[in-house]
Amino acid sequence: MVRNKVKTNDIHIINLAKLVSSPNAILYKEEDLLAYDCDGFTIERHLPRAVVFPKNTEEVSQIVKYCAENNLPFLARGAGTGLSGGAIPLNNEVIISLVRMKRLLEVDLENRRAVVEPGFVNLKLTNSISDKGYYYAPDPSSQYACTIGGNVAENAGGAHCLKYGVTTNHILGLEVVLPNGEIIEIGNGGIPDSPGYDLLGLLTGSEGTLGIVTKITVRILKNPEAKQTVLAYFDNIEDGSQAVSDIISSGIVPAALEMMDKTAIEGVEAAAFPVGHPKDIEAVLLIEVDGIAAGIEGQIEMILDVCRKWNVREVKAARDEAERGRWWANRKTGFGAMGAISPDYLVQDGVIPRSRLPEVLAKINHISKESGLRIANIFHAGDGNLHPLVLFDSRIPGETEKAIEAGSACLKVCADVGGSITGEHGVGIEKKEEMRFVFNDEEIIAQTNIRDVFNPDHLLNAGKLFPTPGRCAEVKRELSSKN
Amino acid sequence: MVTSELLTGLSSIILEEQIQGGSHSSPLLGNNGRITVFPKTEQEIADILQYANEKAMKINIIAGGTKRGFGGIEESADILLSLEQYKGVVEHSPGDMIVTVKSGTTYQELQDFLAEHKQKVPLDPALPKEATIGGVIAANDFGPKRLGYGSARDMVIGLRMVYPDGTIIRSGGKTVKNVAGYDMNKLFIGSMGTLGVISEITIKLRPLQQYESLILLSFPDGNLEDIHTFTISLLDSVMEPVALELLNPPLAEIVTGHRAFTLAISFEDVESSVRYQVDYVKQHKPSDASISILEQNDARSFWDNLAAVSPNGQQTVSEQTTKAALKVGVKNLDVVSVIKESQLLQDSHHLKAEAHGGLGTGLCKVYLTGTKDDVVSAITSLRSFAEHLGGYAVATHLPLALRQQIKVWGEKPSHFFLLDGIKAKVDSKRILNNGRFVGGI
Ligand SMILES: Cc1cc2nc3c(=O)[nH]c(=O)nc-3n(C[C@H](O)[C@H](O)[C@H](O)COP(=O)(O)OP(=O)(O)OC[C@H]3O[C@@H](n4cnc5c(N)ncnc54)[C@H](O)[C@@H]3O)c2cc1C
Repeated sequence: MVRNKVKTNDIHIINLAKLVSSPNAILYKEEDLLAYDCDGFTIERHLPRAVVFPKNTEEVSQIVKYCAENNLPFLARGAGTGLSGGAIPLNNEVIISLVRMKRLLEVDLENRRAVVEPGFVNLKLTNSISDKGYYYAPDPSSQYACTIGGNVAENAGGAHCLKYGVTTNHILGLEVVLPNGEIIEIGNGGIPDSPGYDLLGLLTGSEGTLGIVTKITVRILKNPEAKQTVLAYFDNIEDGSQAVSDIISSGIVPAALEMMDKTAIEGVEAAAFPVGHPKDIEAVLLIEVDGIAAGIEGQIEMILDVCRKWNVREVKAARDEAERGRWWANRKTGFGAMGAISPDYLVQDGVIPRSRLPEVLAKINHISKESGLRIANIFHAGDGNLHPLVLFDSRIPGETEKAIEAGSACLKVCADVGGSITGEHGVGIEKKEEMRFVFNDEEIIAQTNIRDVFNPDHLLNAGKLFPTPGRCAEVKRELSSKN
Repeated sequence: MVTSELLTGLSSIILEEQIQGGSHSSPLLGNNGRITVFPKTEQEIADILQYANEKAMKINIIAGGTKRGFGGIEESADILLSLEQYKGVVEHSPGDMIVTVKSGTTYQELQDFLAEHKQKVPLDPALPKEATIGGVIAANDFGPKRLGYGSARDMVIGLRMVYPDGTIIRSGGKTVKNVAGYDMNKLFIGSMGTLGVISEITIKLRPLQQYESLILLSFPDGNLEDIHTFTISLLDSVMEPVALELLNPPLAEIVTGHRAFTLAISFEDVESSVRYQVDYVKQHKPSDASISILEQNDARSFWDNLAAVSPNGQQTVSEQTTKAALKVGVKNLDVVSVIKESQLLQDSHHLKAEAHGGLGTGLCKVYLTGTKDDVVSAITSLRSFAEHLGGYAVATHLPLALRQQIKVWGEKPSHFFLLDGIKAKVDSKRILNNGRFVGGI
């Protein structure tokens, strides 16, 4: 029985409709496609050819085979919260949306793992196992919406990744549909170190350019016995940054160590979850320590000592779980909060060695002054992952371009101190050219060579992640393909 | 190519004193070279590779030599590239808690250097005094504390690789988070030197633990049910052991003096937290298990002794008795069955079997000593046992003759074409460590 009747002359849409079995599993009318012309990176928009909603791996495989045989570009999409344009259909792709593959397939507490479908929402996993005292560690701020499939593709991070690691450290197994439609299983159902090159590690963070993930085995963790959360207010951003550096090098590994600057504080206090941060403060640190209760008090004392050494104006500890929850809501909704003080904003994602924080923040401040655009900083200070938020107004001609330029300049600053252009949001479309800040032609070719093993015809998510090859690179590619 | 021609070719690249004719170690382990070269700089490594690649000559890579018995089916390649003299810390940024080190540095040298700054690389591989950091990363070695700190893939943040054509490829960088481009580090970790020569490694460090205690629970009656039940309750508690390792009786005898199944539970944290956790275990342990507690230096010596048990590819191999080492991967709690099975092997196959495995990691190391035939049949039997549980067994140490007989890595995975495709792209002439990896890669 064909569940999906379509009215169109496009033979591919007619055929694709036959490959999906749940009701309303294909979109192809322009008005329906508009919602899929971008993701969380809204500066560039392109319409897909169609959006299909497979309900299982077999359907994904059939769709991919069809696309491959008919030379149709295609890509995977989760919740569409990606911030670098990874899910934008640059080439009129068929979008394969995984949101209907959203089951929690298995929880094995004894062996500390869970198996989910790719469309399963990140936060739901923790919510499903928290009554037994377990959780899933990677906690991107978008965790109420983003999918674990999307997290794998972007190697998503989050505030608590400082102590517990990012997505890649928690992925134990994957089922993947390759760009030719073949289904493979890697990671042996969660047993570590399967013999062979570490394809699990390679696929995680490959931004949907090597295959479509259809099943994921993740590591789950036991809740720590105790947590303590502290806010520290600084009158001077350098002092705040020095405190970050000293806390990390003092031998404490906090669960989270987040920072917001004055502009960011103005935003979060004007938005939905204000917590009463003083208005005249230059920087706030949100610090969390967790672990065995008996060890926490001493660690908090050490942290407070460091803060005092760096002239902290005020510190307070969360009185209860409710207060802790409010502080985190205030922080985790920080990007969206910029909407309260600016018509538009662009999020950047540079990473630096932590010790360079004061110098880099000063340079970002300089970029802000030069461009005339305000830049707010909300970031994972503990692991040196900055999120400069460039505030702008797209209605003013030229300001969007200026914002993009300022964002790119911030990444250059990060790259120049030995850092990287992205810590968790991915390269996507947005930072393709900035890849040259950190990699030379040979290194980029080394990576595209690997892509070509999986995705030789470039039908899957083409035009992402890598810069347009320079002339010299093209010549080298010619040479290397002749070898 | 005749050796003299090779000598002449190489001497235009590096000094004569860095070249040695032949190889001086026992042929029984293989992985030798007709000529050994000792580069001291990355440029020399690159030049040697480029030279060999142009002439399609095979290269074996070696450093400490501890893993000489790990993979490979040839007695000798054209060139043995030794990284023994390519060592030293390149950069250490204590505030950022990262270190960059040349691959020929021994694990112990690196650890001693970092200890002065109260920091460490939180790996606990076998034979740390002889094994080099490059070899540990290339072979993805690990130890019992993997439960608490993860493995090489969780801590290596950047690599400089010398590709077979001599190109230098950097992967990752110097930041603890980084998603620019593909995570190529992962591809090189554990690749057994089949994709390139690891030149420099940048590693994310941990602070040295302020305090450590080790609890040894020994189960004289060998009641594995008890161990299983206790482990489940410990893992379900809020305790945070960094190691939870089960030792079989012969291994326990070597490192503790008591021949009994023994659970080694390690805690590392601030002292108050460690003491609290030790008390918890004391109160909750099964009543018939006897307990001893080692602290600080004593705990460290226990782990050092355990890390020294592994067969060492540096040592000469005897013709009479065969030594083998296996890495067995199964689901976490199935480790109990594997350790039990390795105990049974002793009687069924008339050999010595020492085994330990992590109940929170699913990884076991099993060492066998016996006659050739007994060792081969024990490996086959343990491998099929592991495969039955959905796992695998890899032979991490075996004499050459047996590696030619047994598939070191087991059967090829169904996605082998991807692995082979990667090898073909990176090392199209297959000059590096040829045949040393899965499926003859
Ligand atoms: C307000 C806000 C806050 C955020 N905070 C964080 C944060 O703290 N940390 C962080 O890391 N990120 C953050 N992000 C970014 C984003 O949420 C993450 O990148 C997330 O992992 C994307 O998941 P998604 O399901 O929305 O994927 P999508 O946006 O739909 O897709 C992202 C990429 O993954 C690919 N993809 C999706 N599913 C699959 C699949 N099953 N198989 C293969 N490829 C697939 C797509 O092709 C695309 O390239 C934030 C975003 C927003 C809007």
